[in-house]
Amino acid sequence: MSETMKENSPGGAAPAREIGLKGHQIELLRRGFPAIFLATLVVVFTIMSPRFLSLGNLLTVLEQGTVLLVTALGVSFIIMAGSIDISVGAIVAVSALVAALTANTLGPFAIIPAVAVGAMCGCLNGLLVAVGKVPSFVATLGTQVVFRGLVLYFTKGAPVEILNDGFLDAYSSISFGIPHTVVIGLVLAVVTWAIFKFTVFGREVLAIGGGERVAILTGIAVTRVKIIMFVLLGALCGMAGLLQGARTMAATSQLGFGLELDVIASVVVGGTPLTGGLGSITNTCLGVLIVTLLSNGMNMAGVDPYLQNIIKGVVLITAVYINIDRKKIGIIK
Amino acid sequence: MTLVGVGLSKRFGQTVAAKDIPITLRTGTVHAIVGENGAGKSTTLRMLGGAIRPDSGELTLNGSPYAPHSTFDATHRGVALVHQEITINRSLSVAENIFIGDLRRYAGPLGVLKRKQIAAAAQASLDRIGVKISVTANIERLNLGELKCIEIARAISSNPNTLLLDESTAYLDHREVDAVLNVMAELKSKGMTIGFVSHHLSEVLAVADDLTILKDGQFVRSCSAASIEANEIHRLMVGRDVMHGIYPPRSPTTASAAAPALRATKVAVGRELNEINFEVRPGEILGLAGLKGAGAEALFAGIVGDEPLRHGHLQLEGEDYRPINPRAAWQHGIAHLPGDRGNEGLIVSFSVLDNLVMAQPPAYGPFFSSARARVMASDLIKLIGIRTSGPAAPCSSLSGGNMQKVVLGKCLAIVPGLLLLNNPTRGVDIGAREEIYRIMRQKASEGLAILLSSEDMPELIGLADRLMVLRRGVIVHEFHSLENVEEHDIVQHMI
Repeated sequence: MSETMKENSPGGAAPAREIGLKGHQIELLRRGFPAIFLATLVVVFTIMSPRFLSLGNLLTVLEQGTVLLVTALGVSFIIMAGSIDISVGAIVAVSALVAALTANTLGPFAIIPAVAVGAMCGCLNGLLVAVGKVPSFVATLGTQVVFRGLVLYFTKGAPVEILNDGFLDAYSSISFGIPHTVVIGLVLAVVTWAIFKFTVFGREVLAIGGGERVAILTGIAVTRVKIIMFVLLGALCGMAGLLQGARTMAATSQLGFGLELDVIASVVVGGTPLTGGLGSITNTCLGVLIVTLLSNGMNMAGVDPYLQNIIKGVVLITAVYINIDRKKIGIIK
Repeated sequence: MTLVGVGLSKRFGQTVAAKDIPITLRTGTVHAIVGENGAGKSTTLRMLGGAIRPDSGELTLNGSPYAPHSTFDATHRGVALVHQEITINRSLSVAENIFIGDLRRYAGPLGVLKRKQIAAAAQASLDRIGVKISVTANIERLNLGELKCIEIARAISSNPNTLLLDESTAYLDHREVDAVLNVMAELKSKGMTIGFVSHHLSEVLAVADDLTILKDGQFVRSCSAASIEANEIHRLMVGRDVMHGIYPPRSPTTASAAAPALRATKVAVGRELNEINFEVRPGEILGLAGLKGAGAEALFAGIVGDEPLRHGHLQLEGEDYRPINPRAAWQHGIAHLPGDRGNEGLIVSFSVLDNLVMAQPPAYGPFFSSARARVMASDLIKLIGIRTSGPAAPCSSLSGGNMQKVVLGKCLAIVPGLLLLNNPTRGVDIGAREEIYRIMRQKASEGLAILLSSEDMPELIGLADRLMVLRRGVIVHEFHSLENVEEHDIVQHMI
């Protein structure tokens, strides 16, 4: 990643001579929007509930947001390449089940089968999309049902408990006051950020999103890059499933249900458009924080739970509405 | 209908697209607006047609004030504009496309379209411009020239007395251009006032009565077409005399003993290309002439592995080469500049640097090296003369010519042994053309083999060392030297 692929700016800063000084300010404001929005949320919730800004609550937010964060990191690549994956919640459920089934014998090492199975699920998606040329929305819509069906088939709908101490100590306890999940989530965020920012792979993902035909004709191994990004997402979902299983001490068929919507919302609210070609991991992290804080803050402020979903939807649409540079997109489908 | 503009000016942000342009379209004449890319031709024409509102200046139509605030409004005053891009919807019929803006007029009760009436009205419009297209024709089978004629028929359907055509021939081949020019002549004979914008001087001189020359958004001269020579127009457009120096001198043929950079044996691709044999040697520019669909595009697609070879095989520098996919082609040192710059050559939203290093990004293992990429990019920018504020500038801020230079730079970045160029100067102004030609010749003299497919005959004559003419997928003629070859010598083999 060179600094020329500016984070969250459509192909670098818009040319000043075209948009003029005022346009330039608007552009800057738009780019900083996710951060401004996040700050506004913090201020509003702090006013509504004094406990909101306590260290304890912040750790809770981070812990609550880890599963979302880890999956959103992977989905960022998919969306930046102009594809979509709506099977993430189902992969999380499959991986949690694998972790639960192997935790008693493998202890902390249940991470290996969990991540491996997640990666395999991702690989299947990648093959369908990249080799089978099935549109990613349809392919992952199908695999979502299959994956979730697999979990149901093996559990017959009953939860599988995780009681292994070694496993729970490793993935859901607290050291030096910091939950292990949070540390794992942050490490993964840094690793993914580095992959995106410093590797050729990261650039190729963006190039595919920016113009797939151009990428193909310029000799980018589009098929391979797509498979890799789906495998990467699968592995991250595997990790998320493991963490979620450890948190709830059980794997259920409903685990991660509807997660894909929060994940896509996080990426988009962070400022990465679904059309691909631009975006960054930092943006995704901001988006995850916004989505998580919104839920947490409304709970803290005692907003009627029945009202929360409505507010959440409205806020997300508003955020994206303000965030999108409509002039550049032109046609929205 | 006389359309007069005085002091027309338009700015986009800080760019002055047109400044104080005077223009007069006389009744029943064809008026051409000519100039390089970015000269303000389209802007001026679009101000006349209501697509852009001038910042200042006045328009009059037959002496009465005329200030259209939309193309729709202009149509009501009898001025119709045909846009540069083809705007035909291929899932509708010919008739529906012609009346797309006014379908309600042909809607019966319950909104059902009256097919017979609309077909008859559409056929009348087509007949009026004198083209032989049937309204019942399958729109998928029409060529770009015919689609353009349908767009003109659409504009005519509102019964305008002034027709404005914005670069209507930019993407058409010879046959198609002729069809459009015939339509213009036909309409003029019926008293229509026509204003048009074009890159091609031969077209301008073929049909225009008057012309207005613009340069850098400024008015240069307005005169009757008969009173000015092509060379003089060129000179005024560019601001200096380019006619002599535009094609660099050929280097003396070198190393004919060397193994050919590419040898094709009985190569057939798809339905378009049938078993052709040829070779290109290092240091040679081999031209390919032919109408669209004659096989040049298919040949390129086959060589780069974008389409599988149906038959035959290829050798690179004496070694067998099997084109599996474009990636393999680039890895074998074959660089490819596609014909469609916006969709195939360049990611316009990305920076100049990102595009330049896309084919082989400098890297340490899996890690991208921004430092080396910057050096590489600034070297290429200097070599090719890309006019940009820097490697980090987005390509969307560049002119068409400079965008094409970026695509050329991307090709040269891998130090190729074979370079495939598909219409490298389409939509590129003369200044940038000259530089692209210079680089091509320079690289050829350094031993690069170049396959140049072009619809621009003077370009082929001026640049190619040898020329193959393709027709219906086979090589019908080969020119071993292009000294004293005239445009029509080539064209007669093409059709």
